[in-house]
Amino acid sequence: MRLIVHNMLTCNVKGVVNKFPLKIVAEKVVKKEVDFNLDFLWHMLAKIEWKALVDGARSLGYSELPDHAEALESNESFLKKFHHALLELHLEEGSLVCKETGRKFPVKKGVPNMLLHEDEV
Amino acid sequence: MKATLAPSSLISLPRQKASSLRSPSLLINSQRPSSALMTTKTASRGSVAVTAAATSSVEALREGIAEFYNETSGLWEEIWGDHMHHGFYDPDSSVQLSDSGHREAQIRMIEESLRFAGVTEEEKKIKRVVDVGCGIGGSSRYIASKFGAECIGITLSPVQAKRANDLAAAQSLSQKVSFQVADALEQPFEDGTFDLVWSMESGEHMPDKAKFVKELVRVAAPGGRIIIVTWCHRNLSQGEESLQPWEQNLLDRICKTFYLPAWCSTSDYVDLLQSLSLQDIKCADWSENVAPFWPAVIRTALTWKGLVSLLRSGMKSIKGALTMPLMIEGYKKGVIKFGIITCQKPL
Repeated sequence: MRLIVHNMLTCNVKGVVNKFPLKIVAEKVVKKEVDFNLDFLWHMLAKIEWKALVDGARSLGYSELPDHAEALESNESFLKKFHHALLELHLEEGSLVCKETGRKFPVKKGVPNMLLHEDEV
Repeated sequence: MKATLAPSSLISLPRQKASSLRSPSLLINSQRPSSALMTTKTASRGSVAVTAAATSSVEALREGIAEFYNETSGLWEEIWGDHMHHGFYDPDSSVQLSDSGHREAQIRMIEESLRFAGVTEEEKKIKRVVDVGCGIGGSSRYIASKFGAECIGITLSPVQAKRANDLAAAQSLSQKVSFQVADALEQPFEDGTFDLVWSMESGEHMPDKAKFVKELVRVAAPGGRIIIVTWCHRNLSQGEESLQPWEQNLLDRICKTFYLPAWCSTSDYVDLLQSLSLQDIKCADWSENVAPFWPAVIRTALTWKGLVSLLRSGMKSIKGALTMPLMIEGYKKGVIKFGIITCQKPL
């Protein structure tokens, strides 16, 4: 699971208010290179929840992102870090944790499992 | 009303009596020996009898579906490739197609669906797509490539999700597409996330059609399009409360091996969308356009390669293969319909 996906996932347990973002507990993180695509990055910059990305990256062992992204769209060094954090860090094994309930959603072989149990629906 | 054969035609359905929003009664015939539940209420119009016992049979269904696809996806991919849906053919085409002809038909199914929904003219607006019941990601990868959009796929099967991710990586699409294990009835996304909500032959697995449609609508962005392509039973006539017993019996036998809950009709979907105030609702009966598909699947199963792979794959695959003639019978007798229903969420 890459952070671009983590930035969209919510806790879907019934009644939960603070459902985004999910906290990441990382057990195995892998880096995989991806081609740099400026248009795609600019497009994503507009959509991404920045704090969730920064915190998520830290949980995956990457602390280079600045706390704020304003006015940095043309900064090459910033864009490379953004690219790396968003697309190249993979959580292979670990879990995503709901901040309100502590409910853990496992991530196995890079695939998050967001299925709920009967009593959570 | 007679169905016209042109794929983009709009069929106006006989207006059904307005009924309270229904959750079709669960008809779950689970293969699992541990499930004590055989809740067998016939799906009938207007009944909302979801029993207390039904909740845990929903979990059993979900597990059954996951296991079915964990077991059979590899086999399907080996023989048919990465699209786990019907091909779209010109009606009455008597030419027997080659394998690649059928694969092209599967691609055409995606294209015809997009065109029917009016998406093709609005390509540039499609930035984020969700593929509900994504299989091994064929549609997701195709649509992501076509529109340059970001596509998230969800499936109940961990095996499928992993395979889908691996295929995306192999096709250098990892940036654009990713796959998760999640429930279509409880999607882990905020409201209004997706410009296109895509459900290609997954609706038939949903035990609660009303909830399924509500979730599709919830995650669609204002102005976004929803495309549902699914197996349905025929529309009921005015005054008809349910299918004939022989028709229900046929469907029951199919449900068992394919892990399907109760079927509904295309007009049931239309009613649900209307009740949720969607606009530009369109539907069509594409049964004539998919007729060559099951005979072709059976032919591939009967090849040497097919038979060997089936035997290796396991009982679920074998039972699935033995059920395929029932699909043909269902289509021929007009019980089973291949339907497309599309709409747009208001701004």
